[in-house]
Amino acid sequence: MQQEAILLGSDAVAHGVRLCRPEVISAYPITPQTHIIETLSEMVDRGDLHSEFIKVESEMSAIAAVLGSVSAGSRSFTASSSQGLAMMHEILHWYAGARLPLVLVNANRALGAPWNIWSDQSDSFSQRDTGWLQIYCETSQEALDSIVIAYKAGEQLMLPVMVMIDGFILSHTMERLRLPEEEEVDRYLPAYQPPYRLDWEKPLTFGAAAHPDLFYELKQTQAATMQEAFAVLRQCETDFARQFGRLYTPVMGCPEGDDASDCVIICCGAMTGTARVAVARLKENGEAAALYKIRLVRPFPQAELKLKLAGKKEIIVLNRACSYGVGGTLSQEIRAALYDLEKRPLIKDVMISLGGKEVFPETIMNIVRNRAQLSSSECNWLA
Amino acid sequence: MNQLKYVTAIKNGDFTGLPISSTSTAVNLTGSWKFFRPRLAAKESPCRLACPLNIPIAAWLDDLQKNRPDLALRRLRDYNPLPAVTGRVCPHFCREACNRGDFDEAVRIGDLERYLGDLGLEHDYAPAPSPGKERVAVVGCGPAGLGAAVFLARRGIKVTIFEKGPAPGGLLRSAIPAYRLPREILERELAVLLRDLPLEIICNREIRATDRERLEREYDQVIWAPGLQVSRKDEAWPDDPRLTGALEMLAAINAGAAIGGDDFIIIGGGNAALDTARCLLRLGKKAEIIYRRKLAEMPAYAEEQRQAKEEGVVIHDETLVGKIDPTATKLRLSLHQARPDKNRINCGPWLRDIEVDGLIAAIGQGSDLEISGTHPVISAGDFAHGAASVAKALASGRRAAETVLRRLGRSFDDENQPGETAVVTSREQLHLDYFSHAPAISPQELAPRRRLDNFCEISQTLTAEQAAAENRRCFHCGICTACGICWFFCPDVAIAFDREAPDPNLRVLFDEDHCKGCGQCATVCPRGVIEMEEDH
Repeated sequence: MQQEAILLGSDAVAHGVRLCRPEVISAYPITPQTHIIETLSEMVDRGDLHSEFIKVESEMSAIAAVLGSVSAGSRSFTASSSQGLAMMHEILHWYAGARLPLVLVNANRALGAPWNIWSDQSDSFSQRDTGWLQIYCETSQEALDSIVIAYKAGEQLMLPVMVMIDGFILSHTMERLRLPEEEEVDRYLPAYQPPYRLDWEKPLTFGAAAHPDLFYELKQTQAATMQEAFAVLRQCETDFARQFGRLYTPVMGCPEGDDASDCVIICCGAMTGTARVAVARLKENGEAAALYKIRLVRPFPQAELKLKLAGKKEIIVLNRACSYGVGGTLSQEIRAALYDLEKRPLIKDVMISLGGKEVFPETIMNIVRNRAQLSSSECNWLA
Repeated sequence: MNQLKYVTAIKNGDFTGLPISSTSTAVNLTGSWKFFRPRLAAKESPCRLACPLNIPIAAWLDDLQKNRPDLALRRLRDYNPLPAVTGRVCPHFCREACNRGDFDEAVRIGDLERYLGDLGLEHDYAPAPSPGKERVAVVGCGPAGLGAAVFLARRGIKVTIFEKGPAPGGLLRSAIPAYRLPREILERELAVLLRDLPLEIICNREIRATDRERLEREYDQVIWAPGLQVSRKDEAWPDDPRLTGALEMLAAINAGAAIGGDDFIIIGGGNAALDTARCLLRLGKKAEIIYRRKLAEMPAYAEEQRQAKEEGVVIHDETLVGKIDPTATKLRLSLHQARPDKNRINCGPWLRDIEVDGLIAAIGQGSDLEISGTHPVISAGDFAHGAASVAKALASGRRAAETVLRRLGRSFDDENQPGETAVVTSREQLHLDYFSHAPAISPQELAPRRRLDNFCEISQTLTAEQAAAENRRCFHCGICTACGICWFFCPDVAIAFDREAPDPNLRVLFDEDHCKGCGQCATVCPRGVIEMEEDH
């Protein structure tokens, strides 16, 4: 029986982490992630969570500290945001290359300049190529559940997983949650037992120099494992649904929209909630539009999108991250995924929000209603 | 390049390969990339070069700090046979050169030498080798003669010393007051030094110039170190027993003879003048010093001057004794203002007349021995170079011994002596950021009011804790102490270090196969010991 509680999104994340029983936590506070690690440190202090909590002076040290603990075979956790995540960048690559399954929660926030603490997804989208799995959550419940799934999948794959919540929109708002029972999570998520670990008794060299041929071979393996991740993640999500009753998939359709419509809205993260209201109202007015949320950005579910979007006329991609000089980052991913389709839909690349610019249902409804005016060759910025 | 052997991980049967190797990264010979290589370039500490004996001070202080007094003592004794003595009486030229002087305060090397010297009173030397057939005679058993004889005896030469006085020691015994050098210390240090050495000391045997031929016939080599045992006096002085020299007065006091008279004037500004005055004060006499130059020009050691001032020694500077009028009961002296004239200082205006029981000349020393002959002799000590410090006498004894060994066709272990091209560690080569400021630790001294009725030693030997604290102040300039800073910073784990290696040049070992020559070790070395050189 899952207990119900009304909690902040940050607390939901902390409870998700607690249920996975990490042995080591190291993090450096940054708005809007701070509440997550504050709550975790209180849990450790109270004895609700038996973790080593390593205080550090920077995000670089936080991610480096748990690099050691994961190498030593301890399940570990860290969280960051924005500039902090950017500071971790080089070590993020190292995790994936060294095949260390860490789970990191990122509270999405804009990157300066100018200074801005509000939400957009440019911080995590700019880490797409580090070799981490990336999961974007719509709700706090999804974030809590995704952490449990992330440990299970990551440890099977020996790859790190980044779980995203939109800063403030999720981290600082309250939601009614169902908290899985500890015993149930223990049953779902076995103890972390890596095939190799740092061990005085059995010395091994981790991440040492590899000559070009071997480097290439290992990177090929890493890339192949990312492809493997679809199947492993699907299995983990299915198992989770069986045990806890909530199913997540890499691309999720939304019943509020009209799947039969040849116009599709695509977005990712908490904005999906707003989009649900928008498409529901449109449906009431007889203006049909389908809505898909992208949950998994790495590996990117190209095959699934191709199946779902074949035959559609128009796809409106709502972006919260910009690849300057090209356009919305998510739009580029969708474009690349659909290139192989015999009949390619028109893609309307919309930069709907950056740095916390508010998105209301009306904003999305207006975009859908005026889509004829949207360029399909250039990124559309709002007036 | 060898390759790492990577392990293969098979999970779920369909992916393999983790970047984990069952071999160590040592197979990557990154050392082949380097253009520069580090090397240990030990330098001399400025204290060592300032020391007449060239004692490797930084090295033995480091041994002592590493709690290896035996090793420290061996290193010190190789250069200085009398550390407990020099630790007390040497003015410590080393301190003046100390790099720490500008940082806060020079390390009290002398007090540390004394501390280790006193430890040595309980530590026998390693047995000397059995003597060969060469025989050497040494004339005089003062610091120079003794230094030469011991140096030879430790190298398997049979030595005979002829000493005019009743016991070995020379000026150490006859001139230096017991409050500066307790006789018990002298006896004990001589005993431990001479124990089981192939060395014979014949006391109460004065050697004259006429004995030269016989000595040179009976011995393979002769070293002359008779010292300067006669005080110089003004030739114009009347012949009167109440007009004496400082050396003679000190010898009498040190021998425990009764001193007649109550009121003395001492002429001079050196250590002998101060020693004589301070001894007489301790015997309850009145003794004042007449010095012809300004007080600031006195050649006596600063510490002696300070202690004499504390004890109330009266010094009349820029004053001369003019006319001396011996009466039946007193010596009547006329005192004059000094009047410098070119290189001389003449009597100026008359100041006053005084009456005293004795006038003591402390204006220099001489010898009544004049050696003549067709070839030069090997000489050492004050006799060779004029009155100087004990350390200089010991050093000249050592040099004389080296000359003897060379003439005997024997080699001597001179490798560790700093040569002409010795590089001294400058302050700029030190990384002072590693060191924190700390005041020097001074030894306890007897309060001045408690000194005047006895000949007790004034300053105390540092305690073990004090010595350790004072030693921690030493920068150990120019030698590798195996501090481990380079090891800590080396990004390639290409440095190994051995704290226990007695040779400071072997304490850091560079792994040439893996050192990339980045030079961080050279940059961070606190003592400027590591240098980079081009790798060919």
